[in-house]
Order: sequence, then structure tokens, then C-alpha cells
Amino acid sequence: MIELDDRTRAIQRQARAWAQELKPLALELDQDPDAIHRHLDVAIVSYLTRMTVPPEFNPDPVVIDGRPFYGTGTLERVVFAEEVAVGDAGMLLAAPGPVMSGVLVDAMGDEQQKKWFYSRIMEKPTWTFFALTEPDRGSDAGAMNTTLTPDGDDHFVLRGAKRYIGNAARADLGIVFARTRPGPLGVTAVLTETSAAGFTAEPLETIGLRGLRITAVTLDDVRVPAGQVLGRHLRATQRGMWSAVQGLNRLRPGVAAFGLGIARAAYEYVLANRRTLNTAERHRLDRLGLRLTELRQLIWRSAIAVDDNDPAAGSLASAAKARASRLAEEATLEALGCFGPGARLDHPLLDKLARDARGVEFMEGTGNIQKLNLFTGLVQGHLRRD
Amino acid sequence: MTGRTAAADAWIRYRRTARQDGLVRALTLLCETVGDGGPPRGPGGHMVVPVGVAGADAGDVVTTLTVEEGTVVALRSRAEPGVSMTPRQERAAWALGLTCLRFGLSERLLDAVLAHLGGRTVGDAKLLHQQMVKGGVAEAVIEQLEIETMLAGATPGDLDDDVLAGLNAQITETDRMLLRLLGAVSFLADGPGQVARVSELIADVHFGSARAGEHGGAA
Repeated sequence: MIELDDRTRAIQRQARAWAQELKPLALELDQDPDAIHRHLDVAIVSYLTRMTVPPEFNPDPVVIDGRPFYGTGTLERVVFAEEVAVGDAGMLLAAPGPVMSGVLVDAMGDEQQKKWFYSRIMEKPTWTFFALTEPDRGSDAGAMNTTLTPDGDDHFVLRGAKRYIGNAARADLGIVFARTRPGPLGVTAVLTETSAAGFTAEPLETIGLRGLRITAVTLDDVRVPAGQVLGRHLRATQRGMWSAVQGLNRLRPGVAAFGLGIARAAYEYVLANRRTLNTAERHRLDRLGLRLTELRQLIWRSAIAVDDNDPAAGSLASAAKARASRLAEEATLEALGCFGPGARLDHPLLDKLARDARGVEFMEGTGNIQKLNLFTGLVQGHLRRD
Repeated sequence: MTGRTAAADAWIRYRRTARQDGLVRALTLLCETVGDGGPPRGPGGHMVVPVGVAGADAGDVVTTLTVEEGTVVALRSRAEPGVSMTPRQERAAWALGLTCLRFGLSERLLDAVLAHLGGRTVGDAKLLHQQMVKGGVAEAVIEQLEIETMLAGATPGDLDDDVLAGLNAQITETDRMLLRLLGAVSFLADGPGQVARVSELIADVHFGSARAGEHGGAA
């Protein structure tokens, strides 16, 4: 089994303490996703606004037990994400910060772009977005229709639509993936400001994870400076979809941790609110507790692989994410079954967890996509099975 | 046609209405045809009924949910939860009717999956024709065939409470399989996922496992 070092345990303890502040806010945010604007002073939100900003751009990191934390390590991020999701997954997703875009800027941005992006992030709490998915093409990013075409020497124009894009209606800036030419190498990523003419983001009402405020984005001749196209200094094979896939591999353990947090929240809810358990229930809960432990270990393993640039990282992250989305659903349904008829109405927080759990499946690739990734990794020898 | 077959055929109406016309029409039909004193409460004192149905004012509204073609309310009765005053035969009819209705909604969800994935492509092929998707659809259909076979020919009282609770849990699990296949569209509040949410709520209210003395709401 994997054990955490002292440094990572410190962020785990801190995140656990911070998460306690979120629980009382969970149902408020579920009712009104804009409630996030009233809670930007919550301690954890302050950390999230800067999480993943590298040391050279973050002169004011969070200090825990005398150690600075930047959130740039995958293991520390997954440990943090699990604890915060136990508090409230919605708040974790609703908070301003650079997380997904930051990973891409880090991978594909040149020094000037990084400086521009991170200075904006550090200036004030700033929401960002990551626009990859298109309407009716959730599982087929290769069929991307959004285009990026030159408009004079120093500008490009974005045309198209994106769907299921978190936080885009509140964001100041983010990343849009678009096609410059046909074929797998014809996709690139561009930093885009939401204030640009032609950019609109319409919120979509969801069943759960309402804090995320997912949107439908329309790009109607949005002009972007040429300097905001990412990866121009990289080889063609390292731009666009390749970088997106690398970035998503880095983020996927965090999504898995997020599902684990929801599942654990349901498990802990039962332990805290059921006065007695019969033998069968105790057995089922013990089994659920073991499954949570197993998943946590798998997530940590995938995070360590990402941090070590291990070829198995993508496969391990897919395995963890596929398991996490299912366990989140199963654990929340199991927990509801412990409270008898009308549990969904008498235990609104548990009902919210069950609704939130359904959304994990669609974050960063469905279960089927993760299984296909895992199989590819297996046959390509990425998973050392010795 | 024997009398028993005719009686069983009556229950197919709820399933067919749910599949063809949706949740609100089917639930309205059930409320209008089963129960003289309004829709029965669940064991915890709750109800999920369409807005405007007789008896829908018999409690405090906990939540109001809009679904594809109407609105339902979830109520908590002002009376103390306890032994139901609804006659046993009527409760049995209601329980079977709800189960048939939920199964019809599950069939409707399968129809939505086939239509949605049949209209989408990955590369040059229909998404529905991807092997993993075919397998996922088949898994859900196996569940539905089992449930359908259990419900076939049933009249009130034929299937005891534990069997009906088990079938409702199976319907929920089947719906979750289908929702995962449907993709992110199933997470939107104005689509099939919202109907499945209300269907789960109905199961929770009427078939949730009873736990005497443990039913208080949590802070």
C-alpha cells in the first residue's frame, strides 16, 4: 500500500479542516450557483484561486506547517481534491482559479503567454474555462468543427460552438480548442477572453454539480491576437490534441479523487446519522469502506505515475476515473438506502450527493472512453504487469 | 380472454402511457384510477404527484420539479407517519401500478438512448454501432427483459412488497446504465435525466427500505 509523506499529510489535514467550512454552504450553492460570489472569502477559495500557479509566478503561496504549497504536484492535488469534495464538490468546482487552463498553459504556453495568463490569475479571483467539447461530439474530439482562421497578420478569428463548458459564464479568460486545418494535427488551443465581441456563454441547468454552472458557448467571429495561440513554439505534433490529451491525463486523477470524495461523503453521512446499524448494513458499509480505500490507493498510484512521467500514467488515471465515477453513484445510492422511505426528501444533503455523483461520469471522458484508454495502454505495454 | 388476463392487461396501461406519453400523464392516470381518497402516502408519509391532481394539497411541499411535459410536487404529509389508512388491496394496486409506470419510463429512456446515439457519429460510424455501446445497451435490455417477465400478467398482491422493492431497485440500476450511455445530455435538467431523477424519487418514497425509529431528517 502507498503511504503519504509528511508534506502531503500536511495538505491533507489542512484541506480536511477547510472542507468543514464548505458543508454548511453546500445546499445554498446547489439552490443558487451564483452564491459562490458571496463566499469568496472562505479560506479554501483563496487557495483555489492560486492552485497550480507555478512558484515563479506565485510570490504568495499558501504556507502550511512552514512549507509553501503551489498545488502543482498531482499527488498533493488529488489528496486535496478528495478532502474538499467530501466538504462540497460543488464549491470545489465553482471556485475561481486556473486549474484546467493552467495545466495547458504550463504545457503549451511560451514564457510571455505564461506571464500574461498567471498575472491575470494573481491579480484577483479569476474564473477560467476549458472549451474542448462540442455539441453532439462529446466522444469524438477528432471531429471538431470550431475553426481558427487568420485575420490579417496579427489576429485570428474563432467560429463555432462548445457545450458543457464549466464556469464560462463567470470566467474572464480560458482556452478554446479549434481547428486550423483538417486532420489530427490541425487542432490547436488558443487563450480567449470572454469580453471579446462574439463570445457568449449561456448557462445550462443541470441535475447536480450545479455550482459548476456548465454552459453552452457560442463563438461568433471572436477575434484573438496571434500572441494568444498556444504552442506556436512547439513542433506540430506537440500542439493541439496531443497536448490536450497530455493535459487531461494530468488532470484525470483529480477528477477521480473528486468522485472518491463524493462517495466518501455519502459513507460518512451514514456513519454520522444512523443511530444503529443491523448486521447486514454493517457488512455492506464495511465493504464500501474497503472499496473507498482501494480506490484511494489506485488514485494515489495514478497521481504518482503522473508526477513521475511514468508511461503508465494515462492508463492508471483512466482506471481510477472509471472506478471513481461508478463508486460515487453506487455509494450514494447505498447511503440513501440506509434511511428508509423518503430519504431523498428528508436528507437533502444526501440527495444532493446522489445527484452530484451522476455528473462525475461525464467529466473528462465517460467510463467507456476510460476503458478504451486502459485497454490501449494494456496492449501497448504501458502497464507493467510483472 | 380470462378474467385474470383482463385484470393484468389493466396494468399494462400505466406502462404504455409512461412509455408513450411520459411521466406526468402516466402518474396522473394512476392517481385517477387507483385510490378513492387521493394517492396513497409512502411509508414515511411522503407523496410525489403531478401538480393539480386531487389530493396533491395533502401535505407540505418539499420540492417542485419540472419534467418534460409538466410539473410534479413532492410532499411530506402533515399527518404522523405510521400505519397507512389506505386499504391493503388499494396499496397493492398502487405499488404494482407505480412499478409498471416506472418500467414504462425505463423503456422510454431506452427509446431516447437509441434515438440519440443512432443520430450521432464517431468517425464515420454511428455511435450506437460502437461495440462497447452495443454491449452497454444489451446489458440494460437484459435487465429490462427480466423485469418485464416478472411483471407480465401480475395483478395486485401477486408480487409481495420485497419483490416489488427489488424490481424498483433494478429499474433504478437499469436507468443509471442508460443514463451513462446517453452521455452528458442526461445530466441536464430539461431532458430524460430529469425524468429518471423523478422516477428514482418515486421509488425512494414508496419502496425505500423501512427502518422503524430511524426515519428522522438529519441536520
